Amino acid sequence: MNPSHLVLGVIGADCHSVGNKILDAYFNEAGYHVTNLGVMVSQDEFIDAAVETDASAILVSSLYGHGEIDCEGLRAKCIERGLDRILLYVGGNLVVGKMPYKDVEKKFLDMGFNRVFGPQCDLAEVVKLLKADIAKLNLA
Amino acid sequence: MAPSLFASVDIGSTYTKGALFALEAGVFHLMARSEIPTTVDNLADGFGRVRAELSAGRASAAGLPVYLSSSARGGLKIAALGLTADLTLSIARMAAYSAGGKVVRTYAYELSADEIADLESLHPDIILFTGGTDGGNSAVVLRNAELLGRSKTEAFILYAGNRKVRDQVLTLLAGKAAAIADNVMPEVGTIQIEPAREIIRRIFLERIVDGKGLSNVVREIGRDPWPTPLAVFELAGKIGATQPGWSDFGMIDMGGATTDFYSHTEAFTGGDSVLLRGLHEPLLKRTVEGDLGLRVSAAALWESERDFLTSRLASLGRPVEEFEAYIHSVSARPESRPENATEEDFDKLMAAACVRAAAIRHAGVLSKVYTSQGGFLVQRGKDLRRVTRLIGTGGYLSRIESAGPILEACAPESADVDSRPLLPVSPEAFADEGYLIPLLANLVGDFPLEAARTAVGGLRKLNGSAVSGKG
Repeated sequence: MNPSHLVLGVIGADCHSVGNKILDAYFNEAGYHVTNLGVMVSQDEFIDAAVETDASAILVSSLYGHGEIDCEGLRAKCIERGLDRILLYVGGNLVVGKMPYKDVEKKFLDMGFNRVFGPQCDLAEVVKLLKADIAKLNLA
Repeated sequence: MAPSLFASVDIGSTYTKGALFALEAGVFHLMARSEIPTTVDNLADGFGRVRAELSAGRASAAGLPVYLSSSARGGLKIAALGLTADLTLSIARMAAYSAGGKVVRTYAYELSADEIADLESLHPDIILFTGGTDGGNSAVVLRNAELLGRSKTEAFILYAGNRKVRDQVLTLLAGKAAAIADNVMPEVGTIQIEPAREIIRRIFLERIVDGKGLSNVVREIGRDPWPTPLAVFELAGKIGATQPGWSDFGMIDMGGATTDFYSHTEAFTGGDSVLLRGLHEPLLKRTVEGDLGLRVSAAALWESERDFLTSRLASLGRPVEEFEAYIHSVSARPESRPENATEEDFDKLMAAACVRAAAIRHAGVLSKVYTSQGGFLVQRGKDLRRVTRLIGTGGYLSRIESAGPILEACAPESADVDSRPLLPVSPEAFADEGYLIPLLANLVGDFPLEAARTAVGGLRKLNGSAVSGKG
């Protein structure tokens, strides 16, 4: 896996594109090579792009509240497709209603995501965590 | 000034065809034609006879410039190897078709032992080896290079994958005939097939021309031959780029074994909140369907398009058994022509199925997606709705009397509005009168404008509508 390659996109039938553009610019600025798939991205499209680019992380956004359904099974599919060590991050308005953040986080961690972020997260913090997580992968 | 004369010869797997053209006032005029069965053992024999016929009665055959294309030996056989099916493999296939090749097999991910054995027994002319963006995947790519290097394949291996590992790939392919081209997909979604296409053309010259007497022909005429479909592809591009009224058109080349579909139109124009997913396909695109054809592929056609054919047979009031018997008979005798009205109807029906399926497979799909922000349209593949003209070529479509068979490529009146193929809507239909397109295509390198102008000028406009009672 290439430590500086990331795949980014908004999952499912979700066409919120503003945040996606901000994330693209931010991670590029932070020195990553970002493959941005834009909005309405399927699980397979995320995985295809990660395979071709040898990405070390897939960053999934979801803003319309159906993130849980869209993200279910992504980890298993990654494993099936040979991406057994790839980092999976997810962030946004992940569920409908007012579920406490801790519960949302647990739900997505249980699904196999490495990090879960709410809508108000600090991107500098995300980059810091990402650097540390990629370092832990011990890529040669 | 006397018009200049040019001969154009196409050596096909079955027939060697030639035409003599006079170039006058920017248009080629047909002066003579010749067609003989291809002399398979020595292609030079048939070529010589066609050239002699074309230059009969003229001062000298020696000074006559000859342009040549060939699809003898079944054309240029390419095996395409990619990493993921929807990205690099899909683009590799696109590159192979655009280079005039016939894709004999595709492989994704790491090659298995079975697949290596399969590849060895297929004997493709070229293995188009892709995978990974530049700086992307190297593990699978290097593993495949190692497997190909150790395999017994004698095919020419063209590597057009991750640029960062190309030196290692070449080392692993030591002992094989191999070359490198720029990556067909340097970034996810970016299609770059021109460099690979150009090298495939060069490999065609080096590998395919050699043997069967073709190299003698080439030495004699002093000019490189083209793979026939590549010449036609280039001609289609020139027609679209230079001929008024032809910026958005399609062309269907239906033969006994395959149906080729060419389109020249912008793949995606957006608008009305339409989102493109998947690859942004090129302006000029060719697809080849190996299971759609009137003779050699008749049985495969019956297999692939059974539902459509059965429903059309029902509306014609013909028993399926009778049609099936005809399929068997023409598969066994590919040179056969229909002998009565029933057989003519059957050929027409098969042509309809070939055109329809080739168009649907070439075209993209528009689907309605419901989101929390309302309904959205998602396009995948190429939009052919702005295509205003369709050309039919090949032995059958160049002779048809009515537009019906060609208009099978148009959008069906589908009830399913949530997902529909992006087919031409109500184009004009034309037949390639005299089946001159492949022969004019040979001249496109030296005479792009003249060849394009002559090709569209010689078309026969067809009237009539699509078959009623669509299945």
